[in-house]
Amino acid sequence: MSRRKLSRRQFVAATALTSAALVTAPYVRGAHAAGKLSIGFWDHWVPGANKASTDIVNAWAEKEKVEVQIDYIPSQGNKNLLTIAAEAQAKSGHDILAMPTWWPHAQAELLEPMNDVMDGLIKQNGEPNGTVKYLGQSKGKWLAVPASVGSQIKGPCSRIDLMKQHAGIDVQALYPAGAPPKADSWNLETFLKAAEACHKAGVPFGIGLGETSDNVDSAGAFFQAFGAALVDEKGNLTVKTDAVRQALEFYKKLIAFLPPDAGAWDDSSNNKWLVSGRGAMIMNPPSAWAVAKRDAPQVAEQCWTHGFPSGPKGRFAPYLAYFWGTWSFSKNKEAAKSVLRTLSQPDAIEKMCVASGGYDLPCYEKLTTLKVWQEEAPPKGTLYHYPNPHNHQTLSIAAAPAPPKIAQQIYTQATLTKMCLRYSKGEAMEKTLAWAEGECEGFMRS
Amino acid sequence: MADVVLHPDRAATSKTVRKRGGLHNMLKRKSTVAFLMALPLILLIAILVIYPAFYALHLATLNKSMQRFIGLSNFEFLFKRETFWLVVKQSCIFAITAVIFKAVLGFIIAHFVHNIPAKGQRKWRGMLLVPWVIPPAMSTLAWLWLFDPSYSAFNYTLSFFGIGPIPWTGDEMWARFSVILVNIWVGAPFFMIMYLAALKSVPDQLYEAAAIDGANWWQRIWYVTLPMMRNIIAITTLFSLIVTFANFDIVRILTAGGPLDHTHIFATWAFRIGIEGSDIPLGASVSLFMVPILAVAAIFILRDISKRGNEA
Amino acid sequence: MTTATIDKAAPTRTVKYGSMSRDRAWALRWSYFFLVIFAIFFLTPPIYMFITSLKSSAEISAATNPWWVFHPTLENYTGLLTSNQFLRFFWNSAIVSIFVVTITMLIAVPAAFALSRMRFWGSATLATGVFLTYLIPETLLFIPLFKMFAVVGDWTGVQLINRWYVLLILYPTLTVPFCTWIMIGYFASIPKELDEAAIIDGASWFQTLTRIFIPVALPGLIAATIFAFTVSWAQFLYPLVFTTSTDQLVMPVGIITTLIKGDVFNWGQIMTGALLGAAPPLIIYAFLMDYYIAGLTAGATKG
Repeated sequence: MSRRKLSRRQFVAATALTSAALVTAPYVRGAHAAGKLSIGFWDHWVPGANKASTDIVNAWAEKEKVEVQIDYIPSQGNKNLLTIAAEAQAKSGHDILAMPTWWPHAQAELLEPMNDVMDGLIKQNGEPNGTVKYLGQSKGKWLAVPASVGSQIKGPCSRIDLMKQHAGIDVQALYPAGAPPKADSWNLETFLKAAEACHKAGVPFGIGLGETSDNVDSAGAFFQAFGAALVDEKGNLTVKTDAVRQALEFYKKLIAFLPPDAGAWDDSSNNKWLVSGRGAMIMNPPSAWAVAKRDAPQVAEQCWTHGFPSGPKGRFAPYLAYFWGTWSFSKNKEAAKSVLRTLSQPDAIEKMCVASGGYDLPCYEKLTTLKVWQEEAPPKGTLYHYPNPHNHQTLSIAAAPAPPKIAQQIYTQATLTKMCLRYSKGEAMEKTLAWAEGECEGFMRS
Repeated sequence: MADVVLHPDRAATSKTVRKRGGLHNMLKRKSTVAFLMALPLILLIAILVIYPAFYALHLATLNKSMQRFIGLSNFEFLFKRETFWLVVKQSCIFAITAVIFKAVLGFIIAHFVHNIPAKGQRKWRGMLLVPWVIPPAMSTLAWLWLFDPSYSAFNYTLSFFGIGPIPWTGDEMWARFSVILVNIWVGAPFFMIMYLAALKSVPDQLYEAAAIDGANWWQRIWYVTLPMMRNIIAITTLFSLIVTFANFDIVRILTAGGPLDHTHIFATWAFRIGIEGSDIPLGASVSLFMVPILAVAAIFILRDISKRGNEA
Repeated sequence: MTTATIDKAAPTRTVKYGSMSRDRAWALRWSYFFLVIFAIFFLTPPIYMFITSLKSSAEISAATNPWWVFHPTLENYTGLLTSNQFLRFFWNSAIVSIFVVTITMLIAVPAAFALSRMRFWGSATLATGVFLTYLIPETLLFIPLFKMFAVVGDWTGVQLINRWYVLLILYPTLTVPFCTWIMIGYFASIPKELDEAAIIDGASWFQTLTRIFIPVALPGLIAATIFAFTVSWAQFLYPLVFTTSTDQLVMPVGIITTLIKGDVFNWGQIMTGALLGAAPPLIIYAFLMDYYIAGLTAGATKG
């Protein structure tokens, strides 16, 4: 029996090998002696954006004589997260893998330190923003290299005409193209009034309350505007504080002005809301605008991406960071580091940003004023304020500053949006807070 | 089921009686051959079903990083969670409601198909079985698109009657309704086809006898059809209960458990915790709760069948 | 079982009362009325898939009448059928399904033969137990299996996670028990005299199986094959958990994870993909409906 089994396994392995060779054939660039490298990039939704990174990697492979295989892994349905989890369990997989937000910390023990790569890059490109440092570093160790591809700010994208008409707000005047923002009046009160006015006019703001990252990120930025955090940086529970209560009160008022099914929204719902012309504002990187440019040009012409309203504790915008990490069990770490350096050169970053239509947002301070954001149209200048060029708002991520492993749970379990929904459905404030506290206690399990 | 248990015995006993000479050797060889022929099946079930089930029990006693034995702490932790009890409640509501509606709907449709002339039956039967043929993951996508918040075709239609827009997947109650509706849609044809086969095996004389006795339509169903179909109804319900209780794809694709965890069932929640939240032991603990509930259902229904079988 | 013993061919007396035929006519009308309603309910999603698949994304986002196509286009079909990635999913699904059907039959048929005709210690228990394996659903097994395969990979270096062939190991757990059960039923209905005669004539057990049982039980075999094929084509959970690279994915998971992208909605293409993914089972069903139904109702007629 065992002999038969063995031969079957060999047979299976052999079929698999041949089929793998067949499959990968289109992606493989010349087989050379300097080893193999397999890369799992984030699957960019912008048509042609994947090609820019493929080209850069292939040019590098040509020079270094390395055989490269690239997979593009989508984030929808948490496919990329499942891949990371599977590879960590199997202790085998891609040599370089794109990891969003919390995952470098989650897999910290299994990742190759990147300090040698990062030291050079920081000298060259400037300091990375605070969110990236919080997410990418652990005890002085860089867990992964920040990726420009996929990194984004999820600020408001407003309809110029609808905001003017119904809320009396001229977003172009608040955030003029090519100039610093004059947005002191753009605070949570005016935001709430505008939400109410647009709701009455039948074009409510499209801010979701589901469990996916767009929804959680928006909630995170609003909570931070009140200085509200569920867990502080030392890991103490801070659920039952006035800041959290204020944030919940604010959200309760806001939810009354949102679409009735906002609780089920995923990352594409807000895009559809804007493109279908039903809403005056969504919180999203410029992908919705880009789709509108293709499918509904009359909507795209009226879009303007700008900054978040400010709250009592400041003006915060959600920054969703992507990283490129290398497993400690990877067999070709040096090649991986070399290609990551190449991908992080200013010209490579600019090339990928342009290919993504300005969607990608590098984290390095010297690279937030690329030409692409000034030039994208229609309307001209619509993306000028997208990369936060005047450091008008603080970039942050929901659930920060809690220790990343706890914050990750708060983020992926969408505790913030769930709290808001519970409270807005009429649950008593203290009951919602007690529920959230219980959840957070669960997240502290090891 | 009774059939399966009975036949091998019957076959074997009849043979032992009949065979003469060299019987012992023959039997010995035969049973070895038989065992070898069934061996792949035994190995498959032992290695890939029984062993993992016990391995799940083992996993459930480890801590999150799977380095330490923590006994029943995972279960203690779960029992304290509001969400866990919500999932238990929802799994039961989901499975029971869906199975009842599937059974009733399947019964009604089977009756209607049985009612019409025989030559048209094949066509209708073919059409009505389509939902069961399409892979559920694919058809749920169509439902997802029909329920879409911005582009719902249902809401478009309902708007002409001044109804809506209905938050199909956005409101907790509506989301539960939608998930159950899709499940009924996928599963009802299976019941229909099973009942139809059973209806055809009910002899016409019984109905005629009942009609002569003056039984009305309802009495005919209650006293003739249902008793005759009892076994099939039990088997189909059991099978459907297992499948519905352990459902994953419909809920996963349609709502992924939201809003506010109000459509999570055991499988989707275990996936969320175990695979997506990388807490494998806790995920394994959650999915283990399916076993006692399924086992109770199976024992009840199987006992009923064998009781009936003995009476007959 | 009792039902089978009553002779259906017995002459039936035709009982007619005056109101009976009028009642029948009304019953017939109502039956058709409700059947039409149910058919609409059952067929709406597939038809809507088809309608959407003919629309361009500009037409979809214009939010016009969703039930009508104003500018039909085949761009979704050409787009998918020329995409290497999509063809790869299709290919993977086809390969996996064909292998699984073969493996299933190689395991189920001999086992069913042994369980229905030959006796060994525990065979009766096993025959009942086979069906009970469905009491342990795949939604319980995926987590321990995932960990198991990771451990196997650690120990032996045989990589199973994220390889399409892992599905060849997993799917049989879903197909084999039911197929064995169907085949036991079919084999049990073959008269014992047939194989006893063959044995007396000097045929080996293997020859009895291939020369007598398989030809006689061919309809059951086809039904079981169709069942195994549809199950392996439609499986969603195992490939979702165990395969992640785009070149390893099968249809259902491939469509759901790569066509739905977070920020763009190409629902025309998604619906096209879903329709194409549903096509193979539907085509088999269209041609072999009676076998299909025979397989499904095997439990109903035999149990």
